[in-house]
Amino acid sequence: MLHPDENRDPVTLLLFNLYSKSPPFGGFFFGKPASSQAPRRAMHEEATVDPALALAGLSRNNPRRMNESSPVLSLARVSRQLSGRVIVEELDLTLARGEVLGLLGVNGAGKSTTLRMMSGMLAPSSGAVLLGGDDLYENPQRARRDIGYLPEEPPLYGELNVEEYLRFCARLHGIDRHAVKPAVEKAIERCELGEMRQRLTSLLSKGFRQRVGLAQAIVHEPALIVLDEPASGLDPIQALRLRELIRTLAKDHAVVLSTHVLSDVLACCDRVAILHQGRLRHSAVLSEIDADSALRVHIERDVDNDAWMRMPMVASAQIIDTRRWRIRLRDGVSVSELAKAINDCSFGLLELRADGNALEDIFVRIATQPDTPEAAA
Amino acid sequence: MSTLPLIAGNDIKRQFVQPFAWILLALTCALLAWQFLIALDAYLRIAEKLDALPNSQGATDLIAIPLLRSLSGLLLLIAPLATMQSLAGERRAHTLPLLLAAGTGNLAIVLGKFLGAFVTVALIVLITVSMPLMLEFGTALDLGRLAAASLGVLLFGASLTAIGIACSAWTTHPALAAAAALVIGSLLAMIDMGARFQGVDNALINWLSLSTHLEPFYSGLIASVDIVYFLLVTLLALLLAARRLDSLRTRG
Repeated sequence: MLHPDENRDPVTLLLFNLYSKSPPFGGFFFGKPASSQAPRRAMHEEATVDPALALAGLSRNNPRRMNESSPVLSLARVSRQLSGRVIVEELDLTLARGEVLGLLGVNGAGKSTTLRMMSGMLAPSSGAVLLGGDDLYENPQRARRDIGYLPEEPPLYGELNVEEYLRFCARLHGIDRHAVKPAVEKAIERCELGEMRQRLTSLLSKGFRQRVGLAQAIVHEPALIVLDEPASGLDPIQALRLRELIRTLAKDHAVVLSTHVLSDVLACCDRVAILHQGRLRHSAVLSEIDADSALRVHIERDVDNDAWMRMPMVASAQIIDTRRWRIRLRDGVSVSELAKAINDCSFGLLELRADGNALEDIFVRIATQPDTPEAAA
Repeated sequence: MSTLPLIAGNDIKRQFVQPFAWILLALTCALLAWQFLIALDAYLRIAEKLDALPNSQGATDLIAIPLLRSLSGLLLLIAPLATMQSLAGERRAHTLPLLLAAGTGNLAIVLGKFLGAFVTVALIVLITVSMPLMLEFGTALDLGRLAAASLGVLLFGASLTAIGIACSAWTTHPALAAAAALVIGSLLAMIDMGARFQGVDNALINWLSLSTHLEPFYSGLIASVDIVYFLLVTLLALLLAARRLDSLRTRG
């Protein structure tokens, strides 16, 4: 677990302060593991109240039910090992209703494993996954009604047509018999599957299979929708509509989606969490990233970091390639002052612009520097 | 457990919208009907001679019971074929997450799958039993004995189905699941064969054999020990399957 006094970049520090001051569910947990009482898992049971749960205003014996203000989903120091290898390590995350969280990471970063734990499909090796305050593995029935999960490969029964399949999914998720038809109709309408409703799912194209998979995840109107690579296999128009659909769903649900497509995150997420080698390396509100965007400077000369830091207005300098730098200014300093200083130092200014790809830079930096953990907000 | 009938119903529906279950059903019934007709023909040829003998065997002994014996042998193959897709197929088609992520208990999934597959097995048993039952119109059958034998074959089929489900839970390859279930079922059915050749027929190894517990049903004897044995084998196999699903959740 990271603490405020540890070295972090300014974005993360800002977010850390922002989140840690937002009671009661504004940020991540900073406590000991809220481990399940299930004996099959290696637990670090504490006799005292679990700080992670205490921070969330919950106790194991008397969990608060889900409401509008409480986080729909909380992961408290969740770790997962598979075949002796650590896939996810000490992950802390919270998600509130109305929020869309983008889980970013390169292949093998632990995204799918994290989503499988969030969906209740896979138990964490340690830590707790709380759905509306209830431990998911001690109350699996919560998952039935409150979670919609679209795995990487849509779980379709090829022998059933779209409508039959969605009817089964609705019943499986606890929808009453008489309410199944309107629920299925709504899901078909939302995912634009009307013309395919009588088609066997095995005969659908990849894009339609993905949409049917999405329809099964939302047919029971769950509080939490977990989507693993939802845009995979969709054409650009379908991907665009999927983004719109996710934004629509986010009005009433909490949505987690994993992807390695940055544009998907930028288009439909409120927050982003970047996983790398199983650890949460960065977490931020997207609007904060935009607001905190640095300047991108292209110069003629090869200079080192110290040359930039000698300028009084520069808060930080980060190299992108040999002559491109990402510069963050101190508060109250104007861009023209930086431009003047660059000219005074004869760096040979070629380009100076707002850095519009802050998220991409953060992602690339984390993905290419595996041993340098970023602070998690 | 409310999802249990839902899962079972979904499996039955999926099985019978595909040709495989129908073909399996049709071929098995055709084979058994052929055996039935041959046995009937042979019986009709010797019926008059049999009537002249005191305490002679009737249609139940010479047609119905042999037919059910043949069926029990076929079930060693039919049950693995009926169960191989149930969990292995789900894992292979990546559909198991739908059930696992729906808060459905492992035992509910396994029982649903068991019931879904057992319907096919039970249907084959019922169709087979209906063949000698038709003879009731022309001759006197020992209906009590036929009922006992049918119950025995159903319990035998339930055990083999459960073994098939357990094998199906342990692999993602349906063919491998079927092969494993065939081997384990056959082994359990014939485990005391060597002992019997040696003249041992009342040892633990005899008790372990499925055949030992099926045989009394053919004689019309319904012993609680035999029923409990079949139920225990069924329960154990289903618990192993549920354990496997649990390990998929906990160990990935």
